[in-house]
Amino acid sequence: MNRIMMSCKKATELIERKHDSKLSLKDGFQLNMHLLMCKTCIAYEKQSKLLNKALSKFFQNKKASEQELLKNEELKEKIISKL
Amino acid sequence: MKEDVKRKTIKDWVIAYSDTLYTWALNKTSSVETAEDLVQETFLVAFASFDKFQNRSKPKTWLFSILNNKIIDHYRKKSTISESIEQTAEQQAIRFTDSMFDTNGKWNSHETNSIWDNEKHLLDDVDFNEILKFCMGDLPEKWRIAISSKYLLERTPDEICQELGLTTTNYWQVIHRAKLLLKKCIEKHWK
Repeated sequence: MNRIMMSCKKATELIERKHDSKLSLKDGFQLNMHLLMCKTCIAYEKQSKLLNKALSKFFQNKKASEQELLKNEELKEKIISKL
Repeated sequence: MKEDVKRKTIKDWVIAYSDTLYTWALNKTSSVETAEDLVQETFLVAFASFDKFQNRSKPKTWLFSILNNKIIDHYRKKSTISESIEQTAEQQAIRFTDSMFDTNGKWNSHETNSIWDNEKHLLDDVDFNEILKFCMGDLPEKWRIAISSKYLLERTPDEICQELGLTTTNYWQVIHRAKLLLKKCIEKHWK
């Protein structure tokens, strides 16, 4: 890979990073350059976003069914008594 | 006096956070007894090492970091998996995700799987979600906790790093590799 064109491995890592945080100007520029020329990474970005949605949904369902905050007063008392 | 302040602080934390920690532990271990033990141990460790806390992170974040380590330890003991084997599992997963790229970091295969084309269909499919669950189970323990913390607890990268003792660079590598592994696993099992 030359200086302008980053590797697919790096590009896909930046795609993941971009979901949660802002990329630096340089990283953002290089990623966009890469995506102009790499169909496989464009496809990866699409898949990655879909996977994000699927994971969020999967965990939301889990949350709804079993993630309600469970109260355990006995446990609280037991721990406090041991401090 | 100092001891009293410490006891009072931990007591407040028990009241404020034990339910959240317990719910998380129960979700991870599926055993009431184990979850209770792990949460109790978490607070006892917090009490014993209170001097190390020093308000650098939020109490909840610190408590979760202790609990997550306890959960990882618990899995190691339960499946008689030693630390070295758990590390081997992680190394294998790293090697596998590395093998998706050549030495220059280019994709080894440029084929794109058509299963990803029908988003709406995929997200609502019961089987797809079963496969996702299966593939989550296939991740190394630490990666699974990172993914659960991100999507289930909606933690920020900073919080997850603190809770799992990862550097920011490590964290992105873990998320990146976990996503690559999930993608590969889904493509393999989804027909």
